[in-house]
Amino acid sequence: MIEFRQVTKRYDSDHTALAQVNFSLNRGELAFLTGHSGAGKSTLLKLIMVMERPSAGEVVVGGQLLNRLPRRQIPYIRRHIGVVFQNHQLLFDRTVFDNVAMPLEVMGASPRDIGRRVRAALDKVGLLNKEKMNPMQLSGGEQQRVGIARAVVNKPPVLLADEPTGNLDPELSADIMNLFTRFSQVGVTVLIATHDIGLVNEMDRRTLALDHGRLIGGGSSPLQGAPGGVSGH
Amino acid sequence: MATDSRRKVDTARGAKTGRSPWKEQARSYFDHHRKVSRDSARRLWKTPVGTGMTWTVMGVALALPVALLLLLTSLQGVSAGWESSARVTAYLQLEVPLEDARALVDEIRTDSRISDIELVDREQALAEFRANSGLEDALDYLEENPLPHTLLITPDERSRSATGVEALVTFVRGLEGVERVQVDLGWLQRLNAMTDLLARAVWALAILLAAAVILVIGNTVRLAIESRRDEILVAKLVGGTDAFVRRPFLYTGAWYGLGGGVVAWILLQLSLWWLSGPIERLAGLYRSDFALVGLGLDGVLALIIVAMLLGWLGAWVAVKRHLDDIEPGDIAGG
Repeated sequence: MIEFRQVTKRYDSDHTALAQVNFSLNRGELAFLTGHSGAGKSTLLKLIMVMERPSAGEVVVGGQLLNRLPRRQIPYIRRHIGVVFQNHQLLFDRTVFDNVAMPLEVMGASPRDIGRRVRAALDKVGLLNKEKMNPMQLSGGEQQRVGIARAVVNKPPVLLADEPTGNLDPELSADIMNLFTRFSQVGVTVLIATHDIGLVNEMDRRTLALDHGRLIGGGSSPLQGAPGGVSGH
Repeated sequence: MATDSRRKVDTARGAKTGRSPWKEQARSYFDHHRKVSRDSARRLWKTPVGTGMTWTVMGVALALPVALLLLLTSLQGVSAGWESSARVTAYLQLEVPLEDARALVDEIRTDSRISDIELVDREQALAEFRANSGLEDALDYLEENPLPHTLLITPDERSRSATGVEALVTFVRGLEGVERVQVDLGWLQRLNAMTDLLARAVWALAILLAAAVILVIGNTVRLAIESRRDEILVAKLVGGTDAFVRRPFLYTGAWYGLGGGVVAWILLQLSLWWLSGPIERLAGLYRSDFALVGLGLDGVLALIIVAMLLGWLGAWVAVKRHLDDIEPGDIAGG
């Protein structure tokens, strides 16, 4: 579902955010992306979302090579990728329902469709009874779950999460992780960037470890036996 | 709108994920437009002072050139009216007897360039002069009638151009017994020249003010874009196309234009009402039927449509310049 082939991202001539990263994630796989801050986690996520373009190598999402994707095609790629942010990026000028509905509105779904799917998504994260509230009235954990509902409302095949449990206590974090696991069980490819090592260890899942832009662990796909990540430390 | 065609591509692609039939796609597309336009209008309504001020600025900027154009149209109406009534006056020599004058009239009447000719004989002329001038007593001192026979010649429609009238004048001047030919087109030409000049000035002013309107709306929409930055970021993140992100702002511009057009129309009606009395009096003094013509229904519609287009264009400028800057690149921290 997601494949990186020898991907390098240089910002300036001297700053290399990612160096020759190789990995591939299959459909329904859940993986963590770890590393200290500045290791290149965000850059990697941005490359998947086409917020950035690689300096070298190839990024493939859903079978589509993103390198030379024309600018106006980017929105259609993003519709297949759900994203959860640490600061959840909710809009406080509208209800929970309207926040979750955004990806569907962008696609031009019909109001009936929107109503049905938004409620289904809110139901999945256990917030069906709060659809009319303003996100500001919700707790941090609830806000994060609204963000997750928004990320999955249009059933994207790929779900990215950037520090989704950053501000949450362990119990809520476990809740959220359960949600992600459930999504991966129905075939969604989930990639979670985090530096919460405790959580990663607890989940015992495939972990892509970045260090100074190099992939130092988890590079090869367990199912495909794809070419291994750069092993040099 | 230019965005429409692009949006169609959108919905077509959207159909890949939602399996709704074509008809439903189209309906949800129009639903979305209605929703966005209503939402944009509501946002303007929520800030009545700012919106009112923008409307007024736009209204003033639009009313000024339109008022001048109306004035110009009225003036051109006046000169057109005079042109059609242009008459050539031929004064005969004093010693020409009335019979000869009649013969001359008959001779000129045969010319195809003349639609009408009238003879005013000396006695008749003196009587009229006596009646109208108030110089009765002075006239009594004169020993004889100082006025000649006069021919009032109305050129045929085809000869009412400047050159046509000139040729006619030359012809009449060459006739025997004609002392002097007078055609007072000079002031008309000056008026025409002036209205031409005024027309250019008005159009130049109109273009400048239209540019000002575009800039004002552009700036206002730029502020709206800034205030909705988060929303734009999220829309782009979840796969909103450029057309989708632009749409509310383009509607905002069009609504500003609508309000501005209505304000301009109100201002025009008010000033017309305010000026109509004095203008009637002035026109009356000049024995002219000059009147300021207001905007007809067509005119009002045209004004409002042009205003909306200008608003939309201003929004487009702002959107083009500022929306592309808002990229979700810096949103994913860490």
